[in-house]
Amino acid sequence: MKRVLPLYVKIVLLGLLVVFTQCKQKKTASGKKKMAVVVSTLNNPWFVFLAETAAARATALGYDAKIFDSQNNTATEGDHFENIIVAGFDAILFNSTDANGSVANVLKAKAAGIPVFCMDREINATNAATSQILSDSYSGAVAIGMSFTQQLNKKGNYVELLGLVGDNNTWARSKGFHSVTDNYPGLKMVARQSADFDRNKAMEVMESILQAHPDIDAVFCGNDGMAMGAYQALVAAGKASKVKVYGFDGAEDVITAIKENKVAGTGMQFPKVMAETAAKFADEYIKGRRNFPQKIPVAVELVTPKNINEYIAYGKK
Amino acid sequence: MIAIQKNNTINLARLQSLIALVTLCAIIAILSDKFLTMDNGWNVLRQIAVNVCISVGMTLIVLTAGIDLSVGSVLALCGAITAGLLKNGIKMPSADLFIGFTILGALLAGIIAGALLGWFNGFVITKFKVPPFVATLAMLTIARGLTMLWTQGHPISNLGPAFSVIGTGWFLGIPVPVWIAGMVVLIASFITRQTRLGRYIYAIGGNENAAILSGISINKVKLIVYSIAGALAAVGGIMVTSRLDSAQPNAGTGYELDAIAAVVIGGTSLSGGKGSIGGTVMGAVIIGVLNNGLVLLNVSPFWQQVVKGAVILIAVIIDKGGKKK
Repeated sequence: MKRVLPLYVKIVLLGLLVVFTQCKQKKTASGKKKMAVVVSTLNNPWFVFLAETAAARATALGYDAKIFDSQNNTATEGDHFENIIVAGFDAILFNSTDANGSVANVLKAKAAGIPVFCMDREINATNAATSQILSDSYSGAVAIGMSFTQQLNKKGNYVELLGLVGDNNTWARSKGFHSVTDNYPGLKMVARQSADFDRNKAMEVMESILQAHPDIDAVFCGNDGMAMGAYQALVAAGKASKVKVYGFDGAEDVITAIKENKVAGTGMQFPKVMAETAAKFADEYIKGRRNFPQKIPVAVELVTPKNINEYIAYGKK
Repeated sequence: MIAIQKNNTINLARLQSLIALVTLCAIIAILSDKFLTMDNGWNVLRQIAVNVCISVGMTLIVLTAGIDLSVGSVLALCGAITAGLLKNGIKMPSADLFIGFTILGALLAGIIAGALLGWFNGFVITKFKVPPFVATLAMLTIARGLTMLWTQGHPISNLGPAFSVIGTGWFLGIPVPVWIAGMVVLIASFITRQTRLGRYIYAIGGNENAAILSGISINKVKLIVYSIAGALAAVGGIMVTSRLDSAQPNAGTGYELDAIAAVVIGGTSLSGGKGSIGGTVMGAVIIGVLNNGLVLLNVSPFWQQVVKGAVILIAVIIDKGGKKK
C-alpha cells in the first residue's frame, strides 16, 4: 500500500496554500485598521447575533472585522488572543468564556497594547479590560422572579430548568430568581434539572418531569431555547394553557410566543446595544479617547404579554 | 459450525443486557411509582427513537470494525437542510429562480444529503485508507461548520403542523417516531441476518483479509454501510427537527457518544464482527430508561453524569463476564 499522497492532491494543497498566503498579503496591504470580535460560542443564536452585530458595526465604522469562536473553551480563547496579538489587530471586542479564566488572556492583550472591550459577560478584574459593557443577568432574573411570584399569587408548584451547570450565567440567573421566590413558602420547587441551554434536552427533561409531577403551575428556564422546549413538552401533554413558562434572553421564538400568549415572560437582554457600544468605544479609543467607564451595566428588562408590543427579538422596537 | 458459534455469543450478550435492563427498571420502579405507567413508557420510547436510528447505523459500521463520529453533526446538517428547504426553498435572485419544496421533497433531500455525507466518509476511508476514526472526526467538524453556514447560526423554526406529525404525531395508538425507529430496526435486522450484504458486513469485521481473499468487494460494502449510517442520521435529524418544530444549529452535539454507548452496552464488539441490532436496541433502551429515571427521581444534575457513566461500565462488565463463561 502506498502511503504517499497522489500528485494531484499535492498540487491542490499547494494551490490552496498559495491562495491563502495571497489573501493574507492583500489584507495587510489594504492599510485598514482591524478589530477582532472574540465570542464565547457560535453554537447559540444569541451569541451569533452579538458577534455579528459587533462585526457589522466595526465594518460600518471603517474597520476590517474578524470573528473568532472560542467554543466555550478558555484555552481556545487564549490561542485566539495570541494570534490576534501576532496579527496586529487594533482592538478586541470581547465576550469572555469565563469570568476568572479569561482575565489572563485579556492581560496578555493589554500588555501588547491592544485595548479590550468586554460585552455581555464580566471578567473579574478591574485593571485588565479598557471597559466592560455588561448584561445584568442577576437583576433581570430578580425581575422575572417578581413577575413569576405575582402571576402565581405567591403559591403553587414549579419546576426550574437550569442551563449548563458549569456556566456562570446559569447560576447568576438561578440565584436572582430564587432571591425572590424563596421568600414565599407557598411557592414550592418540585423539580430542578439541567437541560444544558438546549431545546431538545429541555423537551425531553420536561416530558419526564411531567410524569413525576403532572400538576405543576409554572416553569422557570435559564434561557429561551429551554423555554421553547419546555413549552413543546407541555403542548404534547395538553397542559400548555395551565402552566406558565418563563425564559431568559429575548430570542425570536420566545418573543413570538409571548405575543401569542404561549409563554408568560422572558428577560430581554440587549445584545445589539452592548455590541454597538463596544464597537463605538473601540473606535473612539483608536482615535485617541482614553477615559472610559470601567463598567457599564445594561439592564435586562422584563417582557410579558402586557408590554410585548414595545419589543422585537434581541431588543426594543 | 462457525455460524452456530456466532449465534450463541449473540444470544448470550443479549440476555446479559436484558438482565441489566430489567434490574435497572426494577430499581427505578421501586423508587418512583410514576415510572411503570403507559404514558411514561411511550415517553421513553419516543425519546430513544432518534438514538435508535443513529445507533442502528453505528452498529452496522462497528460490525465492519469501523466507527462514525460524525453522526451528530450529520444529523444537525440534514435536519437543517430539510427545515431550510421546507421553509425557504431555494432562491436564486440572479437567475430569477425559485424552487419550493413539498414536505416529501424536503424529507428526501435531507435523507439523500445524509447518505451522500456518509458515502463521502466511506469514500475517504476506502480510497485514501484513512482510519474511520480520523475520517469521521474530520466530517464531525465539517458537517457542523456546514450546518452553521446553512443556518447562519440561527434556528429555523415554525415549520408548520403537517411537518410536526413526524415527531409528535400518533398512528394506531403508537407515536410516529416509534413507528419509524421500529421499521428501521426491522429492516436492519433483516439485512444483517438474512442477506448477503449482512454476511459480508460480519465477514469484514471478523477478518478483513480473509474477506478480501474470499472475494468480497470490501470497499463497496463499506461505502454502502457508511451511506446507510448517514441516511439514518438524517432520519434522526428530521425527527429531532420535527419534534422541536425547529432546526437547531447545535442539535445532536454529543449524540455520537450516546450511539456508541448503546452499541457497546448492547454487546457489539468495537473490534468488529460480533454483535447484533437487537443488542443495540436494548442498549438504547437502557440509556433512555436511565435518562428518564434519573429525572423522575429528581437526581441532582451533578450526579446524573456520574451515575450514567457508572451504569455503562457495569453493563459492559456484566456483558464481559457473561461472554467468558
